[in-house]
Amino acid sequence: MHDWKRIVRGNLGSLLLSDREGKEIVAELAEHLEELYEDLRADGFPEPEAFEQCLSQLSEVRLAARDPERAKRREGAMNYRSKTLWLPGLVTLTLASVFLMVLQRFALLQPRIYWVDDGALVLHLPWLMLLPLCGAAGAYLSRRAGGRSLNCLVAGIFPAFVMLGVFCLILPVGVFIEHNRYILQHPLYFGLALLNWTVLPGAGLLLGAVPAWGGRSHVR
Amino acid sequence: MTIHAKIARGSAELAILALLEEQPLYGFEIAKRIEERSGGSLRFTMASLYPMLYELEKRGHVKAQWAANPAGRDRRYYSLTAGGKRQVAPLRREWKAFFLALDQLTGLSHA
Repeated sequence: MHDWKRIVRGNLGSLLLSDREGKEIVAELAEHLEELYEDLRADGFPEPEAFEQCLSQLSEVRLAARDPERAKRREGAMNYRSKTLWLPGLVTLTLASVFLMVLQRFALLQPRIYWVDDGALVLHLPWLMLLPLCGAAGAYLSRRAGGRSLNCLVAGIFPAFVMLGVFCLILPVGVFIEHNRYILQHPLYFGLALLNWTVLPGAGLLLGAVPAWGGRSHVR
Repeated sequence: MTIHAKIARGSAELAILALLEEQPLYGFEIAKRIEERSGGSLRFTMASLYPMLYELEKRGHVKAQWAANPAGRDRRYYSLTAGGKRQVAPLRREWKAFFLALDQLTGLSHA
């Protein structure tokens, strides 16, 4: 006599939902298997073969239950991340780039340059002052899509991360591929460039992103 | 001839609702009757039958309750709800239209 409930639980345990629902499903599938087993035996199937057929039906259930669940989780994660991180982040990046381009081309923005030893601090002040708007827009879009606080924050200061990524790429490419030793000999130059394009814009964006970051999510 | 699982799965909703229109049945009985009445062409394993039953239950087309079968064993019997009963006729029409369209397209009736 097989303990079908134990067999079903052993096979599907991790896939079952709540306690009550899970117990009912176990009981129902166990009854089904018991009847199927008796039916097969009555049809003349030897005991091991009948048992094997029952187990194969159970493993089909496990596969069928697991695949859509996995697919749903993957799809859900992709949608969530795209909606709350990548798209708002791209909006922030686009806005920040367009503002800089427009200011340079049409408002003839000239950066203020402060010389520090062998490096220069190049400040696009009007652009930096517009960056909180960009950060706020990105963080707001992320929040509106149901983004968690961290997603809102990252979406708001996304351009700073992109620039940081660019710098992280420039350093090894410059040194190891182009054999440009200037960066290593003048770390201040590199540090100031990092400050110009990553830290200061990041701070501006953060100023705008923080209010939306603390707000309540519209969708969960 | 056994019908391909994907085609059979598509027809599961109508097959189950049509059977339950006659009387309440439990899972194994539903699978068994579908197999018998289709001459063995349609076979529903546990993996295809129960997800559909739970889906129909979720949609409110069937309701389930535990009761003892004639042999005295507890079984989960499924029966049609009023909403489920209303689904059967449109589903039948839909399938009929589908077969007619498929026939016109592929000459099914000459096969």
